[in-house]
Order: sequence, then structure tokens, then C-alpha cells
Amino acid sequence: MSLYVGALVLAACSAFLLWPVSARLARARWVVRAPHAAVALWQAIGISAMVCGMGAGLAVAVERFHRGFFGGLSALWSSVDSGHPLVGLGIWDALGLTLAADLGIVLASVMMFVTIRGARARSRHRHLLDLVSSRDADARTRVLQHPRAVAYCVPGIRPRIVISEGTIELLPPSELAAVVAHERGHAVERHGLVLLPMIAMAKIFGWVPYVALAPVAMANLLEIAADEYSLRRHEPRSLASALVSMATVGVTPPACSLGMASHDVSRRVERLLSGQRTSKRTAAGALAIGTAVLAAPFLVLVAV
Amino acid sequence: MNRLGELERKVMDILWDSMGQPLSGREVADQFPDRAYTTVLTILERLRRKKLVNRRSENKVHVFSASATRESYMAELMLDSLGNASDRDAVLVRFAETVSPEEALVLREALDRVTKSPKRSR
Repeated sequence: MSLYVGALVLAACSAFLLWPVSARLARARWVVRAPHAAVALWQAIGISAMVCGMGAGLAVAVERFHRGFFGGLSALWSSVDSGHPLVGLGIWDALGLTLAADLGIVLASVMMFVTIRGARARSRHRHLLDLVSSRDADARTRVLQHPRAVAYCVPGIRPRIVISEGTIELLPPSELAAVVAHERGHAVERHGLVLLPMIAMAKIFGWVPYVALAPVAMANLLEIAADEYSLRRHEPRSLASALVSMATVGVTPPACSLGMASHDVSRRVERLLSGQRTSKRTAAGALAIGTAVLAAPFLVLVAV
Repeated sequence: MNRLGELERKVMDILWDSMGQPLSGREVADQFPDRAYTTVLTILERLRRKKLVNRRSENKVHVFSASATRESYMAELMLDSLGNASDRDAVLVRFAETVSPEEALVLREALDRVTKSPKRSR
């Protein structure tokens, strides 16, 4: 099979993953039974689509060596290594190479940019937090002297769990503990790191269905994952009640924003109250699909 | 928080509690009997580099003041935390987004139903 055909197949795979597959996964209802595995599946789809795209470009670029994909790659490398990377490069080879390299460079640089900017914003937030917040009794949670109820986690190497006096006022102790445990789940499982590349991609490839759908879907799944973490020690009812209190406090009819996020709260409360929990079988299924998705581009490349 | 952070915090508290009256390095250091004057000055310089503290000269003496009130920093933190997490570079992950009034009603009812029913949900 010609490498050109391989490149076409890979491009088709990439488009298939980024559009119909992503749209399907965004609508899937089983994901709430296996939030972690579903997040991994989203990641697998993104990585696989990227490998497909870069692989397609490279396949076109190494066709001229007539040694298959991997043989062609090593031939390309030795021509780069010998200092004449552009010798014998036709227009299609050059285009393919450019596509593969651009994809890699653009993604890497945007990722770096977003990481640095996020780190700066977090660092300022943390710094101000250290200056104006007090610590609660167990010295692990920061308390903001503010009447408005908030609870959140600042991701980082040393994450901070923050609650406001408004939250302490609003929630009974059992619910407050459940909320803090939820935030601790975000911190322990490093959810900030999972979301970071998604946010980076959304900056430039926002028109790609996957990039538009994945951050929202993954953020919701991570909330469920943090809920699960909290449930290891706390009653689902405490957490559900805390969620409702926090989501409805100070709700004023006209200027309130409606969005995906609010549906997310309803879904989480429903999930907690219905007693629906995680399923190992669902998770295993999702991981199997994820593995297949990841392996697909390599199988295509070996076949050609 | 490390020891340096703790000191920075105390220095800021002193500047905030001075009611907008700028303080000289000596006046701030006087509040830290167990710390060397130079240590306190270093902390003040650090805070100045971070733009949390302003310095100016008054009769050939450097005086320091907080560049913004405690309340305005608190407000900034709250704005950060109430903003939409997805477009804030993952600064933080918030517990619950606010829902619409209609949804709030439905959620409250669902919660009441479960709380009143005798059978447990797990």
C-alpha cells in the first residue's frame, strides 16, 4: 500500500476522531459511571488525532524513499543528520513535512505560553491568598473573610483549598467537610494539570469540534471525580445538599447566567441522590476503547 | 506558608492597620522586636518588587505604604473565584457554578424529597 493511501487513511481517522467520535462521547451518558476512564478516553482521542495528523504529514514526506513509513522516517533522519534535509524534497514532501512540524511546534508553543500565563495568574492568586486569608483549625484550608459563599481549589505544586466565611456560615459542619473533601480531590488528583492542555488547545483550535467539546466535558467529569473522592468519607446526601446550597445561594432572577455549567450541577445532584456510583466494567470498557484509539494510528503506519 | 511568607503577611498587616499612614522602615521594624532591622527592610523591598508596597521619600527617609487595601485584594480573589473557570487559565477549580432560579427550585425539591423519604440512597 502506498504511503499516500496511508496518509489519507490517517487524515480520515483524525477527522473521524475530532468530529463524530467527539460529538458522540460528549453526548454519552455512561461517562458518569466511569469519570476517570472517560477523562482518559478524551485524552486518548486527542492524542490519537494529533498522532494521526502528524503521521499523515510525515507519511507524505517520506513516500519518496520507498521504504515504508518507519524505514522512510529513518531515511529522512539520516538525510537531516547528514546536513542536507531538503535534498530531493518535492512540493508534496515539503508540504507534508511542514504540516507535521507545524502541528508539533504550534501545539508545543501554545502549551508553553498557556502554562506560563496560568502559572503567573495562579502565583498572584496564591500570593494574595497568603496575605489576606487566615487558616482554619487543621491549618490545611484557607479561609477568606468574605460573606459570599465560595469554595475552590488553586491547582499547583502545592495546591490551596479555599473556602470563605460565607461558606462556613451557610453549611452545617458535615456538609462543609464534604465540600472540603471534594476540593481536596481536585488537589490530590491534579485536575488542573488535566485541564491545562485542553485550555491551551482551545486558544487556537477552537473551531475543531473536539477542542470545543472536550474541555467542558472533561471539566464536568472532573467534578464528578472529585465528588467520588469526597464520597469515600462523606455521605452523598451531605454533598448533594451542600451543592444545592452553594449553587443556589444569592441567585437573583434577572442577571443570572445560564449555561452548560448549571446543568452540570443538576446532573451531579441527581447522580448523588440516585445512589448511582462508579462501575468497574464501564471503566474497563472505556479504557479498552481508549487503548484501541491510541493504537489505531500506529497500526495504520505499520500496515503501509 | 513558609516563614518568609508569614513575615510578609505580618508586614502587610502592619501597613494596612496604619490607616493609610506611611511608615518608615524603622517604624515597621519596631513591631518585630525579635527580628533584625535589615530583615524587615528586605521583606519590605521584596513586597515592593511584587508591587504590593509603595515606597517614597519623606524628609530623606524612605516611607512605605500598602499599594492597595486588604479589601481590594479580597475583591480580586473573589472575582477570580467567581469567574468562569474555563477561560481563566485553570487558575482554580470551583465547587459549584450558580444555577438558574428555576433550576434552584427543582434541585431544592429533589433534595427535600430524598431527605424526607425513609430509605437511604446508598
